[in-house]
Amino acid sequence: MAGAPDQRQPGPAAGEQLQQPQVSCQVFPERLAQGNPQQGFFSSFITHNQKCQQMLLKTVETNPYVKLLLDAMKHSGCAVNKERHFSCEDCNGNVSGGFDASTSQIVLCQNNIRNQAHMSRVVTHELIHAFDHCRAHVHWFTNVRHLACSEVRAANLSGDCSLVNEIFRLRFGLKQHHQTCVRDRAILSILAVRNISKEVAEKAVDEVFESCFNDHEPFGRIPHNEKYARYAHRDFQNRDRYYSNI
Amino acid sequence: MAEGNNWMPPRPCEAYQAEWKLCRSAWNFLHHYYVHGELPTCDQWLRDLTSCRDWEERHSTEAQRSLCESERARVQAAQKNTLVWALRQSPPADWHLPLLQEKNE
Repeated sequence: MAGAPDQRQPGPAAGEQLQQPQVSCQVFPERLAQGNPQQGFFSSFITHNQKCQQMLLKTVETNPYVKLLLDAMKHSGCAVNKERHFSCEDCNGNVSGGFDASTSQIVLCQNNIRNQAHMSRVVTHELIHAFDHCRAHVHWFTNVRHLACSEVRAANLSGDCSLVNEIFRLRFGLKQHHQTCVRDRAILSILAVRNISKEVAEKAVDEVFESCFNDHEPFGRIPHNEKYARYAHRDFQNRDRYYSNI
Repeated sequence: MAEGNNWMPPRPCEAYQAEWKLCRSAWNFLHHYYVHGELPTCDQWLRDLTSCRDWEERHSTEAQRSLCESERARVQAAQKNTLVWALRQSPPADWHLPLLQEKNE
């Protein structure tokens, strides 16, 4: 994982893409400079930041995807503190958020997150990266296959590629389209945070796809909507009984 | 596995019923086709539900065996993946450390 800030490579460990990209890798400019996050006009900063904090609070308290991930991370020794491990900031480009492995922090792009549902999906996506960081030796900056794997998992398990979301993106497809979406979005996310060619990103995703698409931890299934996520959370809470009786 | 008088079904019977009902729903057929390109099969959830109720009523050893076998198969199916990365023995050492600017303050 990335070391201390003065050794840190530019950009986040893993990110989420909002739309088709024309983005540079330096999506979190305030994280490259020393000091505090950038501030735009004072009034819009307060509005964006407050809204981001409010939506984040509602997400962590009510969203079943997020509640399961937070429980799983606590179980793995990485209890999440909202003030320490989340940061609402302005970001360049179209990126919605990112996970910064060098600071163990999830960045939420307050200027790009549109509404509560979007916030929940971004938090879920980034928590999957954080969960992977917690449970495995993920070489975020030195192994593009590791990054690809976490991006495949995040696109697969966060709801990014639900049928409804793809229709809203005007990407129509039904039979096995979910997998096409996961592959494409993983590639976009890699390109948003790494200065590599599309071919290298595609190769990495294709090499790890089968393994990482079928790794559903901590959900135990692909949660297609909140009902599946609630069932997955119920199973997680029941795991002691489950494993002691099989 | 807990043996003898201490054994209970790995999930409450209501959970097997809920999973069977969810599996058979139209939405699940749609989601499954969207993800896997084929329709789901839900028979195993019904068999597990039947075994669970059989255990509750009669403490049938056949029901216990059937449930254990079914759930072990699910676990094995989930674990047959070769992971891309090595799992940690302990969480990252710096997860809980304060941020650098907080330390400087």
